[in-house]
Amino acid sequence: MNSTLVARNVFLCVAAILIASCGTATFTKTGSDATIESLRNFELAFIDEFAVPGKKFNAAAFNAKVNEGNARFQQAIADEKFTARRPVLVDLKAQFDADAAHLKSKASRGKITPALASEMKKDVNKIYDHALGR
Amino acid sequence: MPSGGNKKRKKTSRKKSELDSAFDQVGDESAAAAMKEFQDLLAEAKGDSSELVRQNAQELERRLVLLKNGQIDKEDFDFFVENQKRDLRVFVDSQPAQAQERAEKLTLHVLEIAATKVVPVLIAMI
Repeated sequence: MNSTLVARNVFLCVAAILIASCGTATFTKTGSDATIESLRNFELAFIDEFAVPGKKFNAAAFNAKVNEGNARFQQAIADEKFTARRPVLVDLKAQFDADAAHLKSKASRGKITPALASEMKKDVNKIYDHALGR
Repeated sequence: MPSGGNKKRKKTSRKKSELDSAFDQVGDESAAAAMKEFQDLLAEAKGDSSELVRQNAQELERRLVLLKNGQIDKEDFDFFVENQKRDLRVFVDSQPAQAQERAEKLTLHVLEIAATKVVPVLIAMI
Protein backbone atom coordinates (compact mmCIF):
# COMPACT_ATOMS: atom_id res chain seq x y z
CA MET A 1 0.00 0.00 0.00
CA ASN A 2 2.79 2.35 1.07
CA SER A 3 4.86 1.57 -1.99
CA THR A 4 1.84 2.29 -4.22
CA LEU A 5 1.44 5.68 -2.58
CA VAL A 6 5.13 6.47 -3.00
CA ALA A 7 5.02 5.40 -6.64
CA ARG A 8 1.94 7.55 -7.22
CA ASN A 9 3.58 10.58 -5.61
CA VAL A 10 6.77 10.08 -7.62
CA PHE A 11 4.70 9.83 -10.80
CA LEU A 12 2.79 13.02 -9.94
CA CYS A 13 6.02 14.88 -9.17
CA VAL A 14 7.62 13.81 -12.46
CA ALA A 15 4.46 14.77 -14.36
CA ALA A 16 4.38 18.17 -12.63
CA ILE A 17 8.05 18.81 -13.44
CA LEU A 18 7.50 17.84 -17.07
CA ILE A 19 4.45 20.08 -17.43
CA ALA A 20 6.26 22.98 -15.76
CA SER A 21 9.35 22.58 -17.95
CA CYS A 22 7.22 22.45 -21.10
CA GLY A 23 5.53 25.67 -20.05
CA THR A 24 8.89 27.34 -19.44
CA ALA A 25 10.25 26.13 -22.79
CA THR A 26 7.21 27.47 -24.63
CA PHE A 27 7.46 30.76 -22.81
CA THR A 28 11.20 31.07 -23.56
CA LYS A 29 10.68 30.06 -27.20
CA THR A 30 8.03 32.75 -27.54
CA GLY A 31 10.47 35.28 -26.11
CA SER A 32 13.19 34.10 -28.50
CA ASP A 33 10.81 34.38 -31.48
CA ALA A 34 9.87 37.88 -30.37
CA THR A 35 13.55 38.85 -30.26
CA ILE A 36 14.05 37.56 -33.80
CA GLU A 37 10.96 39.46 -34.99
CA SER A 38 12.32 42.59 -33.34
CA LEU A 39 15.67 42.15 -35.14
CA ARG A 40 13.80 41.63 -38.42
CA ASN A 41 11.88 44.90 -37.93
CA PHE A 42 15.08 46.73 -37.06
CA GLU A 43 16.82 45.47 -40.21
CA LEU A 44 13.85 46.28 -42.48
CA ALA A 45 13.69 49.80 -41.00
CA PHE A 46 17.46 50.13 -41.54
CA ILE A 47 17.04 49.30 -45.24
CA ASP A 48 14.06 51.68 -45.50
CA GLU A 49 16.11 54.47 -43.99
CA PHE A 50 19.27 54.10 -46.06
CA ALA A 51 18.28 52.35 -49.30
CA VAL A 52 16.54 55.39 -50.70
CA PRO A 53 17.34 56.34 -54.31
CA GLY A 54 18.71 59.88 -54.57
CA LYS A 55 19.04 60.37 -50.79
CA LYS A 56 22.31 61.98 -49.70
CA PHE A 57 24.40 59.50 -47.74
CA ASN A 58 24.83 60.51 -44.09
CA ALA A 59 27.86 58.52 -42.90
CA ALA A 60 27.47 59.53 -39.24
CA ALA A 61 23.80 58.48 -39.12
CA PHE A 62 24.60 55.30 -40.99
CA ASN A 63 27.44 54.32 -38.64
CA ALA A 64 25.32 55.10 -35.60
CA LYS A 65 22.57 52.80 -36.89
CA VAL A 66 25.08 50.04 -37.66
CA ASN A 67 26.49 50.34 -34.14
CA GLU A 68 22.98 50.14 -32.73
CA GLY A 69 22.34 47.02 -34.84
CA ASN A 70 25.58 45.40 -33.71
CA ALA A 71 24.66 46.03 -30.08
CA ARG A 72 21.17 44.61 -30.58
CA PHE A 73 22.46 41.43 -32.21
CA GLN A 74 25.19 40.93 -29.61
CA GLN A 75 22.67 41.37 -26.82
CA ALA A 76 20.26 38.93 -28.48
CA ILE A 77 23.04 36.33 -28.87
CA ALA A 78 24.15 36.76 -25.24
CA ASP A 79 20.56 36.56 -23.93
CA GLU A 80 19.50 33.56 -26.02
CA LYS A 81 18.48 30.74 -23.68
CA PHE A 82 18.25 28.10 -26.42
CA THR A 83 21.85 27.26 -27.24
CA ALA A 84 20.67 25.70 -30.52
CA ARG A 85 19.30 29.11 -31.54
CA ARG A 86 22.59 30.95 -31.08
CA PRO A 87 24.07 29.86 -34.45
CA VAL A 88 20.85 31.07 -36.09
CA LEU A 89 21.30 34.49 -34.50
CA VAL A 90 24.94 34.48 -35.59
CA ASP A 91 23.75 33.80 -39.18
CA LEU A 92 21.26 36.67 -38.91
CA LYS A 93 24.05 38.93 -37.68
CA ALA A 94 26.17 37.87 -40.69
CA GLN A 95 23.28 38.88 -42.96
CA PHE A 96 23.02 42.25 -41.22
CA ASP A 97 26.80 42.78 -41.65
CA ALA A 98 26.56 41.90 -45.35
CA ASP A 99 23.54 44.19 -45.85
CA ALA A 100 25.26 47.06 -44.06
CA ALA A 101 28.45 46.67 -46.10
CA HIS A 102 26.56 46.53 -49.41
CA LEU A 103 24.30 49.46 -48.49
CA LYS A 104 27.27 51.59 -47.43
CA SER A 105 29.10 50.83 -50.65
CA LYS A 106 26.09 51.64 -52.84
CA ALA A 107 24.58 54.55 -50.91
CA SER A 108 27.91 56.35 -50.54
CA ARG A 109 28.22 56.35 -54.35
CA GLY A 110 24.57 57.26 -54.93
CA LYS A 111 23.89 53.91 -56.61
CA ILE A 112 20.74 52.82 -54.81
CA THR A 113 17.83 51.74 -56.99
CA PRO A 114 14.24 50.94 -55.96
CA ALA A 115 14.78 47.34 -57.07
CA LEU A 116 17.85 46.99 -54.83
CA ALA A 117 15.89 48.10 -51.76
CA SER A 118 12.95 45.87 -52.60
CA GLU A 119 15.12 42.77 -53.24
CA MET A 120 17.15 43.35 -50.08
CA LYS A 121 13.96 43.39 -48.02
CA LYS A 122 12.77 40.19 -49.69
CA ASP A 123 16.04 38.49 -48.70
CA VAL A 124 15.77 39.76 -45.13
CA ASN A 125 12.22 38.47 -44.78
CA LYS A 126 13.22 35.11 -46.28
CA ILE A 127 16.20 34.52 -43.97
CA TYR A 128 14.17 35.55 -40.89
CA ASP A 129 11.30 33.26 -41.92
CA HIS A 130 13.79 30.40 -42.24
CA ALA A 131 15.28 31.30 -38.85
CA LEU A 132 11.81 31.00 -37.33
CA GLY A 133 11.26 27.68 -39.07
CA ARG A 134 8.58 29.00 -41.45
CA MET B 1 12.29 15.35 -48.92
CA PRO B 2 13.14 17.86 -51.55
CA SER B 3 14.82 17.48 -54.89
CA GLY B 4 14.82 13.72 -54.99
CA GLY B 5 11.06 13.45 -55.41
CA ASN B 6 11.05 13.09 -59.17
CA LYS B 7 7.56 11.64 -59.26
CA LYS B 8 6.12 14.71 -57.60
CA ARG B 9 7.93 17.09 -59.92
CA LYS B 10 5.62 19.49 -61.65
CA LYS B 11 5.74 19.83 -65.37
CA THR B 12 7.65 22.98 -66.15
CA SER B 13 6.01 25.40 -68.47
CA ARG B 14 8.27 26.04 -71.43
CA LYS B 15 6.51 29.22 -72.40
CA LYS B 16 9.19 31.69 -73.45
CA SER B 17 10.28 33.95 -70.63
CA GLU B 18 11.90 37.37 -70.95
CA LEU B 19 15.23 35.65 -70.32
CA ASP B 20 14.63 32.96 -72.95
CA SER B 21 14.05 35.68 -75.53
CA ALA B 22 17.33 37.35 -74.53
CA PHE B 23 19.20 34.05 -74.76
CA ASP B 24 17.82 33.46 -78.26
CA GLN B 25 19.84 36.44 -79.40
CA VAL B 26 23.17 34.90 -78.31
CA GLY B 27 25.15 34.29 -81.48
CA ASP B 28 28.39 32.81 -80.15
CA GLU B 29 28.21 29.00 -80.19
CA SER B 30 29.92 28.24 -76.87
CA ALA B 31 27.99 31.00 -75.10
CA ALA B 32 24.75 29.70 -76.61
CA ALA B 33 25.55 26.20 -75.30
CA ALA B 34 26.16 27.59 -71.82
CA MET B 35 22.86 29.50 -71.98
CA LYS B 36 21.07 26.31 -73.06
CA GLU B 37 22.58 24.37 -70.14
CA PHE B 38 21.51 27.15 -67.80
CA GLN B 39 17.96 27.32 -69.22
CA ASP B 40 17.54 23.55 -68.85
CA LEU B 41 18.81 23.56 -65.26
CA LEU B 42 16.66 26.56 -64.35
CA ALA B 43 13.57 24.91 -65.84
CA GLU B 44 14.33 21.72 -63.89
CA ALA B 45 14.79 23.72 -60.68
CA LYS B 46 11.55 25.64 -61.23
CA GLY B 47 9.69 22.34 -61.49
CA ASP B 48 11.36 20.65 -58.51
CA SER B 49 9.30 19.19 -55.69
CA SER B 50 11.14 21.27 -53.08
CA GLU B 51 9.68 24.71 -52.48
CA LEU B 52 13.10 26.08 -51.57
CA VAL B 53 14.62 24.93 -54.87
CA ARG B 54 11.71 26.43 -56.83
CA GLN B 55 11.85 29.67 -54.84
CA ASN B 56 15.60 29.95 -55.44
CA ALA B 57 15.14 29.46 -59.19
CA GLN B 58 12.37 32.08 -59.34
CA GLU B 59 14.46 34.58 -57.36
CA LEU B 60 17.43 33.99 -59.61
CA GLU B 61 15.38 34.45 -62.77
CA ARG B 62 13.75 37.63 -61.42
CA ARG B 63 17.14 39.10 -60.55
CA LEU B 64 18.61 38.23 -63.93
CA VAL B 65 15.72 40.12 -65.54
CA LEU B 66 16.32 43.08 -63.19
CA LEU B 67 19.99 43.03 -64.20
CA LYS B 68 19.17 42.82 -67.89
CA ASN B 69 16.78 45.76 -67.52
CA GLY B 70 19.37 47.83 -65.63
CA GLN B 71 17.29 47.94 -62.44
CA ILE B 72 20.16 46.42 -60.45
CA ASP B 73 23.85 46.24 -61.39
CA LYS B 74 26.38 43.40 -61.28
CA GLU B 75 27.48 44.29 -57.75
CA ASP B 76 23.90 43.99 -56.55
CA PHE B 77 23.42 40.75 -58.44
CA ASP B 78 26.60 39.22 -56.94
CA PHE B 79 25.49 40.37 -53.48
CA PHE B 80 22.13 38.63 -53.89
CA VAL B 81 23.78 35.47 -55.20
CA GLU B 82 25.97 35.37 -52.08
CA ASN B 83 22.84 35.79 -49.92
CA GLN B 84 21.15 32.94 -51.75
CA LYS B 85 24.23 30.71 -51.45
CA ARG B 86 24.48 31.38 -47.70
CA ASP B 87 20.86 30.40 -47.29
CA LEU B 88 21.11 27.32 -49.53
CA ARG B 89 24.26 25.76 -48.08
CA VAL B 90 22.35 24.84 -44.94
CA PHE B 91 19.58 23.35 -47.06
CA VAL B 92 21.96 21.27 -49.23
CA ASP B 93 23.88 20.01 -46.19
CA SER B 94 20.63 18.99 -44.52
CA GLN B 95 19.61 16.73 -47.42
CA PRO B 96 20.08 12.94 -47.28
CA ALA B 97 23.38 11.92 -48.89
CA GLN B 98 21.72 10.52 -52.04
CA ALA B 99 19.75 13.74 -52.60
CA GLN B 100 22.61 16.16 -51.95
CA GLU B 101 24.16 16.03 -55.40
CA ARG B 102 20.89 16.84 -57.14
CA ALA B 103 20.00 19.54 -54.58
CA GLU B 104 23.40 21.15 -55.12
CA LYS B 105 23.09 20.96 -58.91
CA LEU B 106 19.71 22.70 -58.88
CA THR B 107 20.67 25.39 -56.38
CA LEU B 108 24.34 26.30 -55.86
CA HIS B 109 25.45 25.10 -59.30
CA VAL B 110 22.69 27.07 -61.08
CA LEU B 111 23.71 30.19 -59.16
CA GLU B 112 27.34 29.61 -60.12
CA ILE B 113 26.54 29.28 -63.83
CA ALA B 114 24.34 32.38 -63.65
CA ALA B 115 27.09 34.45 -62.03
CA THR B 116 29.97 33.25 -64.18
CA LYS B 117 28.42 32.57 -67.61
CA VAL B 118 24.99 34.19 -67.90
CA VAL B 119 25.66 37.57 -66.32
CA PRO B 120 28.54 38.52 -68.66
CA VAL B 121 26.33 37.69 -71.67
CA LEU B 122 23.41 39.73 -70.31
CA ILE B 123 25.67 42.67 -69.48
CA ALA B 124 27.08 42.61 -73.01
CA MET B 125 23.50 42.90 -74.30
CA ILE B 126 22.69 46.04 -72.30
